[in-house]
Amino acid sequence: MIHLVDAENIREYRAEMDQAYRLRHQVFVEESKWEELRKADGREIDQFDDGRALHMLYIRDGAVLGYQRMLPTTKPHLLSDVLPDLCEGERPVGPEVWEWTRYCVSRPHRERGRALSPIANSLLSGIVEWGLSTGVSTIIIEMDPIWLLRLVQLYFRVTPLGLPRRYGPSDVVAVAAKFDSRTLARLREMRGDTESVLYRPVHLETARSKLA
Amino acid sequence: MSASQFNDESNRASKSVGIADSPRRNRRARAGNSRRKDLDNTLTFIRDIDRAASPIEICSVILKAVRPYGFNNILAGTIPLPGSTQSQQESNVVLADWPMDWAQRYFSSGYLFADPAIRRVTSDVSPFMWNELAPLCRDDPMASRVMDEAGDFQLKCGFTVPLVTLEGEVAGFSIAGPRVEMPPYLRGMMSLVTAYAFGHALNLRAKSIEAAQARITPREQEILQWAAAGKTEWEIGEILNISEHTVDKFFRSARSKLNATNRTQAVAEAFRRYIIT
Repeated sequence: MIHLVDAENIREYRAEMDQAYRLRHQVFVEESKWEELRKADGREIDQFDDGRALHMLYIRDGAVLGYQRMLPTTKPHLLSDVLPDLCEGERPVGPEVWEWTRYCVSRPHRERGRALSPIANSLLSGIVEWGLSTGVSTIIIEMDPIWLLRLVQLYFRVTPLGLPRRYGPSDVVAVAAKFDSRTLARLREMRGDTESVLYRPVHLETARSKLA
Repeated sequence: MSASQFNDESNRASKSVGIADSPRRNRRARAGNSRRKDLDNTLTFIRDIDRAASPIEICSVILKAVRPYGFNNILAGTIPLPGSTQSQQESNVVLADWPMDWAQRYFSSGYLFADPAIRRVTSDVSPFMWNELAPLCRDDPMASRVMDEAGDFQLKCGFTVPLVTLEGEVAGFSIAGPRVEMPPYLRGMMSLVTAYAFGHALNLRAKSIEAAQARITPREQEILQWAAAGKTEWEIGEILNISEHTVDKFFRSARSKLNATNRTQAVAEAFRRYIIT
């Protein structure tokens, strides 16, 4: 299940967050060679991991097998402060727009071949379920353009914010991806189950007050 | 946020640019300006693809944009498994505006499995020009033959974008012509636009399969689409140049196929099944 962890409940998730930072280090530093993120203690933590971040953890039997982080665009985030060159036009900003970063799945649980793994599907479903219940409709993604087709097939309405640029070995493009209930229906159809992936349903009122 | 919204904003912004106080800033502003223009063109391009109602229309939107650079043909599809029959290979094609004679020879002679472009698509995700494939042809007479014969059909030069579908299949999206130009901005634009075109074509295909399963006819689909746009039966009759009575008849038929008790439910059900968008 996907657990939502923010400033309010992060104390209850001390052990799991430790696993999450280690998973990030394993995936982004050890595997993807983002050397500037390397940390001596093997926990990848950056300037955005403070009270503003919403962490989404895929936890099974106490083990963190997947992770992603959502950042509000109303505060500094990667596109505004780290990768501004990827955005040629107007930068989408607002309480309904969040940035999706640090998406990762632990290696043994990744896709066989290239199809979306069950954990990858749950992480994506987590964003859409959370978004539909809190009024978040759009996510900013910085990604390899090879992902575009899969997003289009999931009925995300994807608007590029610039043309792809070369970063190291791969191309990166920033996009704004808008989703709706069709996106969730498609993800559920692929998973073959209609249950919520969220550990606790998001309470609309608390969520709204947080966004405001 | 729609593409046109972005366009409006960018038009406003590009009008305000140009007041620069140093040559260096001026140069930077100009570079930024042209990148902004490339993005605007890409967004317009994507919007036109999204509006296309059929695979043929998608092809013509793309060809209109790339013809000035010498590209006259399109072929896009998922890569068949080795040993697939001719009809299996042909059913993998998603978009095609390709010389018929060449397609016939290509699929009936097993050229697909010798084609160096196909080999490259399955091994590397970055887009490529066909002239970059020369090393793959050097010790492979069959690969060289495929490329040479393609040249006889005005397909000497080409550009291919590898894609990966949600189901994990590898796909290739090629544009080709006898003599072509590929400026860097077109390369960047095509690496994005091909994904929209391919995805839209796949979604259209899924939609028509859904419609076929519900046995909804194209006319009924059209009427449901107009109803979803808020048109009355009289208005739909005017638009399609048929009587209100006929519209009503189509409606009843669509409603019963969708197991809907009223007009609103029929439209909602058609949306849910992707029969209309």
